[in-house]
Amino acid sequence: MVMLYGLLWRLLLLLVHVNRALVSWLRVRLQSWKSRLWERAMASLLLPLALAGFPEQQKNPRLRYISDGMSLQKLPVHIGFLVTEEEPSYTDIANLVVWCMAVGISYISVYDNHDIFQKNHSRLLKEIERQQRHLMGGDGHPYNVEFLSNGSDKCHNGKKKSKVTLLQPLRRTLMTIPDPELVVKFGPVDSTLGFLPWHIRLTEFIFVPSHRDVSYKDLLGALKLYSSCQQRVGQ
Amino acid sequence: MSWIKEGELNIIERISANVLKAGPMPKHVAFIMDGNRRFAHINNMERQDGHTQGFNKLAETLRWCKHLNIPEVTVYAFSIENFKRTQEEVDGLMDLARQKFERLLEERENLEKHGVCIRVLGDLNLLPLDLQQAIAKAVLATKNHNKCFLNVCFAYTSRYEMTNAVRELAWGVEQGLIRSSDVSETLITECLYSNKSPNPDLLIRTSGEVRLSDFLLWQTSHSCLVFQSVLWPEYSFWNLCEAILQYQLNHKSIQKARELHREHQASLQLEADRLCTAEELQHHGNGKPTDAHTRQEALLHYITCREERVQNFLTALKHKRDLFFHDLCIEATTA
Repeated sequence: MVMLYGLLWRLLLLLVHVNRALVSWLRVRLQSWKSRLWERAMASLLLPLALAGFPEQQKNPRLRYISDGMSLQKLPVHIGFLVTEEEPSYTDIANLVVWCMAVGISYISVYDNHDIFQKNHSRLLKEIERQQRHLMGGDGHPYNVEFLSNGSDKCHNGKKKSKVTLLQPLRRTLMTIPDPELVVKFGPVDSTLGFLPWHIRLTEFIFVPSHRDVSYKDLLGALKLYSSCQQRVGQ
Repeated sequence: MSWIKEGELNIIERISANVLKAGPMPKHVAFIMDGNRRFAHINNMERQDGHTQGFNKLAETLRWCKHLNIPEVTVYAFSIENFKRTQEEVDGLMDLARQKFERLLEERENLEKHGVCIRVLGDLNLLPLDLQQAIAKAVLATKNHNKCFLNVCFAYTSRYEMTNAVRELAWGVEQGLIRSSDVSETLITECLYSNKSPNPDLLIRTSGEVRLSDFLLWQTSHSCLVFQSVLWPEYSFWNLCEAILQYQLNHKSIQKARELHREHQASLQLEADRLCTAEELQHHGNGKPTDAHTRQEALLHYITCREERVQNFLTALKHKRDLFFHDLCIEATTA
C-alpha cells in the first residue's frame, strides 16, 4: 500500500512537471505567433515596420523609456533582482539594470545565493557599460553607476545617478538606501534564499520564470503589476 | 467555537493525504491568514463575523495539519500595525481573542489528550492586561505538551522581534553573560520569540497579496513561499494540498540552499573563533610564536568556553521569559 502511494506521488509530480513544461512552451509559441501576426498585418497594409512604431522614439530610445516610467502610477525607488537559477547570465542582468536606470529607478539590487555576482562584480559592471552603449543607441550621455559591493570596493563613475548593489546574505547594512519596494524573482525556486530579511517587510514579490533572454516587455510588465498593487500596512 | 475541530478526513481526502505523505512533508507550516474582511464584504457580513469565520477556518486547518502529520503551525493573528485600525475593529479583535483564549482553558483536557502546546509570540505588553493574563494561563497550562505546537503571533512584527532579540543580546553582554564577539546569526536566532521552534518549511499567504508584511522575515529566509489567491475563510483542504505539493517540488533546491547557508555560517563561526583565539594567545602569551598544536588546543578550549557562556545566557533568557508569564498568572489569581 505504501509502495502504491509512493508510485502515485511520483506520477503526480510527473504530471505537474509536464503541465508546467506545456504551459511554458505554449506561452513561447503564443508570443512568437503574436509578433508574426503583427508583422503580417503591417505588411498587408503596405506599411514598412519602421513606420508602425513612433519615429522619434526609434531615434531616441531614452524618451521611450522615460515615458514608460512616467506612465506608471508608481515606480519603485529601489528594485531587487533575485536570481534563483544556477547559472546566471551577465548580459541579461546588465540589460535589466540598464532598463531600470532608463525608466528612472534609482537603486537596483542584484542577488543570488551562491554569491556569483558578488564574486564577479567587475565582469557585471563591464557588461552593464557594454549594454548601455548597445541599448541606448550610442547616445552621448551614459548613466552613472555607483557600485556598492560589500563595502570594501567601490567603483565611482562621476555623478551618482543609479546605484547597483551586490548583496551578500545578511552582511551589508544598507542604512542609507531605502527598502526595496519590489523584488523580481527569477527561476523555479519559491524562496527568498536569504535576500535582505530585515528590508523586505513590505516588499512586493513578482515572479518571472527565467532571467535568460528576459525582455524589456517582461520588466515593464512586472513594473505595471507593481504599480497597480495597493498596500494597507496593517490598516 | 472550539480550537480543535474533531473529525476524520473523507475517503478522497484520506487517499490524497496518503499520496502526499509519500513525499517529503513540511514539519512546520506558517500561515498569513489574510482575507477575512474582504470575505465579510463579499458576503454582506460584519467585519467581526469575517474574523470569527477566520478563526473557525484556523481550527479546521489545524485538524487537516494533524491528519497530514504536520506537527507545528505558526499563524499571524494580529500585527502591531493592526492597532492602526478603527478602535471598534481592534476592540472586536481583542474580544474575539479573549473569548478564544478563555475557551482554550475550558478545553484543557482535550488539549492534553492531543498534546497541543500553545505559544504566543509578540509584544504582549501592548495588549489589555486581562488578555495578557488569559494568554499567560493558556501558555503555562500547555507548556509541557509535546505532540503538536501552535504558535500564535499576536501583537507581533518581525522587526520588533529581531530588535528585541538584539536588545536581549545587549542585556546579556551588559550582565557579563556573553561577550559581544559571541554574537552571531545563530545566537540571534536563539533569542527570537520562536527560538523553541525550527524554522518554517512552508509559508502560505492567502488572499492573493504577494508580500510578507513583517511576518517571520528572519525565520523564513530559506522557506518555501506559497501565495494563494483564495480568501482565508474560504481556504480548503485542496488549497493546503496544493501548497504542500509546491513545497515538495521545491524541496531539493531549498534543502541545497539551506545546506549551503549552514556551511557558510559554520565557516564564519570557525573564522571568528580562530581570530578570538589568536587575540587571546597574543594577550596571554609570552611573545614566543605558538605551534600548531598549541593553537589547536587553545581553539578547542575557546570554543568550549564560548558554548558554555552561550548556554548559560540562553538559560537566563528562558528564565526571564518564563517569569514574565508566571508573574502574569500570579497577578491574575490575586486580582
